[in-house]
Amino acid sequence: MTRKKFSLLAALLAAALVLAACPQPTPVVETVKETVVVTQVVTQTEEVVVTPTPVPPVQGGVWVEGSSADATILNPILASDSASFDVLGWFFPSLLGQDPFSGAIVPTEMAESWDVSEDGLVWTFHLQDGVMWSDGEQVTADDFKFTYDAIGSDLVETPRKANLDNIESIEVLDPLTIQVTYGEVKCDALNNLGLGWLPSHLYAADYSDVMDSPLNETPTVSAGPFIFNEWIRDDNSTVLRNDNYWKGAPHMDGWIYKIVPDPGARLAQLQTGELDLIGVQPEQLTTIQLDSNLSLHKFKDDGYSYIGLNQANPENPQAGQDEEGNLIEQDPHPILSDLAVRQAIAHALDYDAIISRVYLGQGYQIASNVLPAVEWAHDPSLQPYAFDTEKAAQILDDAGWTDSDGDGVRECNGCATAAAGAALTIRLQTNAGNTTREDLGALVQDQLNGIGFDIQFEAIEFGTLVGELLGQTFDMVIIGWTGLGTDPNDDSFWHSKFDTPGSGFNFVSYQNARIDELLEQAVSVPGCATEDRAPFYHEIQQIIHDDIPYVFVTGSVGNTGYSKKFNGINPGPWSFYHNIETWSLAQ
Amino acid sequence: MTRYVIRRLLQAIPTLLGVSFIAFVFVYNSPGDPILIRTFDPNITQESREILRRQLGLDQHWALQYISWVTGITLRSGQVVQEFERSDTSCTFIAWLNTTSCNNGGGILRGRLGTSIATNQPVWDRIVERMPATLQLGVSALLVSLLIGVPLGVLSAVRQRSIFDASVRVLAVVGNALPSFWMGLMLILLFGVVLGWLPTGGMRTVSLTNEFDLVDRARHLILPTFVLAVGGIALFSRFMRTEILEVIRTDYIRMARAKGVAARNVWFIHALGNALIPLMTTLGPAIFGVLSGAIIVETIFSWPGMGRMTFSAAVQRDYPTVLGAVMFFSVLTIMGNLLSDILYGVVDPRVRLS
Repeated sequence: MTRKKFSLLAALLAAALVLAACPQPTPVVETVKETVVVTQVVTQTEEVVVTPTPVPPVQGGVWVEGSSADATILNPILASDSASFDVLGWFFPSLLGQDPFSGAIVPTEMAESWDVSEDGLVWTFHLQDGVMWSDGEQVTADDFKFTYDAIGSDLVETPRKANLDNIESIEVLDPLTIQVTYGEVKCDALNNLGLGWLPSHLYAADYSDVMDSPLNETPTVSAGPFIFNEWIRDDNSTVLRNDNYWKGAPHMDGWIYKIVPDPGARLAQLQTGELDLIGVQPEQLTTIQLDSNLSLHKFKDDGYSYIGLNQANPENPQAGQDEEGNLIEQDPHPILSDLAVRQAIAHALDYDAIISRVYLGQGYQIASNVLPAVEWAHDPSLQPYAFDTEKAAQILDDAGWTDSDGDGVRECNGCATAAAGAALTIRLQTNAGNTTREDLGALVQDQLNGIGFDIQFEAIEFGTLVGELLGQTFDMVIIGWTGLGTDPNDDSFWHSKFDTPGSGFNFVSYQNARIDELLEQAVSVPGCATEDRAPFYHEIQQIIHDDIPYVFVTGSVGNTGYSKKFNGINPGPWSFYHNIETWSLAQ
Repeated sequence: MTRYVIRRLLQAIPTLLGVSFIAFVFVYNSPGDPILIRTFDPNITQESREILRRQLGLDQHWALQYISWVTGITLRSGQVVQEFERSDTSCTFIAWLNTTSCNNGGGILRGRLGTSIATNQPVWDRIVERMPATLQLGVSALLVSLLIGVPLGVLSAVRQRSIFDASVRVLAVVGNALPSFWMGLMLILLFGVVLGWLPTGGMRTVSLTNEFDLVDRARHLILPTFVLAVGGIALFSRFMRTEILEVIRTDYIRMARAKGVAARNVWFIHALGNALIPLMTTLGPAIFGVLSGAIIVETIFSWPGMGRMTFSAAVQRDYPTVLGAVMFFSVLTIMGNLLSDILYGVVDPRVRLS
C-alpha cells in the first residue's frame, strides 16, 4: 500500500539525480579551467630562447574577480565604497597615476607632465592628447573642471566636498592644460585631485542631473581599458574590452566582478575556476599554496591594526579646540590618561603571539604611526615596545596601581589620575563579525588581566561601534586603518582640531601642541621635498610612540589568491591590475 | 466571501500604518548613523558630512523625518527654498510659520518607498529587482519541502514505530538542528569542489553575455533550494505525522475501515484530506519563514535576493531600504495570512468566512 508513496519519492529523487547529472553547459569559466591544466610557461621560455621575436599574445579570455560586496553607484564623485571603485575604475580617466610598486604619484594617466609655481601654490597640468571617450568625444580639461565643479555644487550630494578644500580656483587654460591654484601649500594636496572624471558632454552644464543620471547605473561611455556592459546588482558586473583604449586595447575579452558574500564560498569558487581572483583570509592561505593552479600575491598593505586608548573622559567628550583654535583642556580619562597605564598595556602584550596566532603570521610589528612602506618618512630606528610582563607590572606598581585587597585586580593606591581605591577596570570594544579582532580582543583581555587589569571586552555591531568611537564614549577600542596611501600625513588622527566628538577622527582625544605644530609644518614645507619633510615625521613618530595614544598591534599584510590562466600578471602592492592591457591567455 | 476579503484588506491599512510607525521609530533610533558609516574615512571632513546629512534630511528630528517619509512633505525652519528646490521637489516658504515646506511627490501614502541612501535608487526598484530571485528560491524551497515533507510524514504515520518512522524522526531532528550556513558550505564543498557536479553559488553561470539557459539556472537552484527546504521538510514531516495519527483515531476513519474501504483509500483520501486542513494555516507563516530563512542561504550561495539586500541595508543603516523591505514583508505577511484563511475555507467547507 505504500508502494505509490515510494514511487513518488523515487520519482523526486530521480528527478533530482537527473538534474544533477545533466550534461554540463559550457560556461566560460569552466572551459578556461581546462586550459589551465596545461602549464605552458615552459613552452614559452623555450620559444624565447629559440626565436628573438615573441609569440603574438593570445587574444580572448575573461577574468573574474570575486568580491564580498557589490558596487553601490558607478559615479566616481558619488561613490564612497571600495567595491564601486573596483568597477568604475575601468571607465573614468583621472589626472594622476600611481606607481604600482612604490605608490608614488607618476604622470601615467591624463597628466603627462606638470609645473609648479615658485611659491608652490599654482599647479599647471599638461594633458595627454588624443585620449577619447568611447563615444568619440575627446577627453579634455573641461571634463576635469566639470567634475570638480560638480562636487562643489549644492545640487550634488557627495561626501567628497573635502576634495575641494584649499583649492582657490580651477582654470582651463586650453583643452589640454589645467591650472589649479591653492590657497596655501599642502604637500599632500595632489591626493585630492585623483578622482575619476565624468564625461561632461553627457551631463547638464548646471549639474542638475548628476544625482539621477542613468549614467550612474549604466556608465556606457568609457576612456579606460574596458567599457561597461551590464550590471546585475548583487550578482555581477561585466565590462568588455575597449578596442580604442589609449594605452592599447587589452588582449582579454572582458572582466567580470562577481559578488560572492561568503569567504568560504569565494575560496571554493576560486578552486573550481569559477573565480580568478579573491582576497584571501589568513586561514585560507594553505589551501591556496597547495593548489598548483593558483598563485598567491602577498604584500604589505597600507594599513595597521591598533588599540585606541581614549585620553579623555568618555562621560564628558569635548572638542579639542575652541572656535579661535585654542586648545580646550580635556576632562582626562580616569585611568587611560595615566601614561604609566598606557606604557604597562604596551609592554604587557605578546605581539609575536598575537601576530602568529591571531593574524596567522600575516602581520609585522610596528613602532609608530608611519608605515615602513612610506620609506622616506618612516623612522626605522624606532623600536616597538617589547613584551615584558614583569616590566609592565613594575610600571603599574610604581605608578600607584597595586592590588591591595588581593582579588587579582589592581586599585588606585596613590595613582596620578583616578580616585583612591578605583579599580583598574576598562572596557575594550571591537566590531562583532570580524573574527580576527574578536580573537585579538580575547587575547588582549587575557594578557592584561594577567597583570592585574580588569578588562571588560565586548564585540558590538560595526555601525554601533562607529557611533561610540566618533562619539568618544569608549575606553579602549580594537580597530584598524586601511588605505592610508603614500603620504605620511595623518593629521586627522592626531591634530587637536580633529578632536570633535561625533565626527572627528582624533577620537582618542589626543592633545599635544608640539604634534599639532609638527603636523602643520610637515605639509607646508616650501617645495615639499621628501628630505625636507622627513625630519618632521621622524619627530612625530617618536612622540606618538612615547605618548601611546594608540597601542600599535600590527601592520597589515594583504593576500590575493589568483589563477594562473593569464601570462603577464605582475601585481604590485598598490595595484593588481596596472598592466591588465598586456595580459594574455597562457596558452 | 468578497465582503470578507474587502473587510480584511481594509483592516490591513491601520495595521500597516502601525507597522510603519513602530518600524520607523525603531530603525531611526537604533544606534549607528548612515552618514558616519558611509563616510568612516579620515579624508572626509566634518563639514562635507554635515552638508550631506542636511541634503538627505537626516539632520532633522525623527518625527519630522517620519512625516516626510509618510507624506513626502519635508518641513524646515527658515526660508531655504533655494537650497532644497530640485527638478522633482517643489518648495514653498510659509512666512507666518517661518517654515519652508518641500513636496517631493513621494511618501508611502502615495505608494512611494523613497530613495536608498546607499545606492541612490528608488527603494521600490531595488525590491522589484531582487524579488524574483527570492521568490524563485522561496517557492521552489516551499514546493520541495511540501513534496518531500508531506509524503514522509504520512508514511511515518502509516508505518508508526517502524525503522522508517524512526529514521525520518532522526533525520527531522538533524535537519532542524543543522545550521544552514554549515550545511550549505559542506554541500558546496562536496558537490561543488570535490565532486564538481554542481555550481558553488550564484543564480547563473556568469559570462560576458549572461544568456539565459534553463538547465544552468536549474543546476544553480538545486543546492540552495535543498538547504532552504531542509527545515521545512523536517517541520512538515513531523506535522503531518502528528495530524494523520490524530485523524486516524477519529470515528469516521474507524467507520470507513469497518465498511471495508481499502486501506490505501483510508489513508490517502479520508485521513490525508482532513489532516491537510491544519497544514493550510501554516502556509501563510511558512511564506514568511522561507523569506526570512533566505537571508543566510542567499549569503552562502551568493543568491542576489531580498534577504541579502535587506541585511546589508541594515548594516549600512540605509533606512529607506530597510523600511521599504519591512513594509513589503508586512504586506506579504498580511496577504499570506489572508490567503491561508481563505484556503482554510476552501479545504474545509464547515469554515465560514464572514
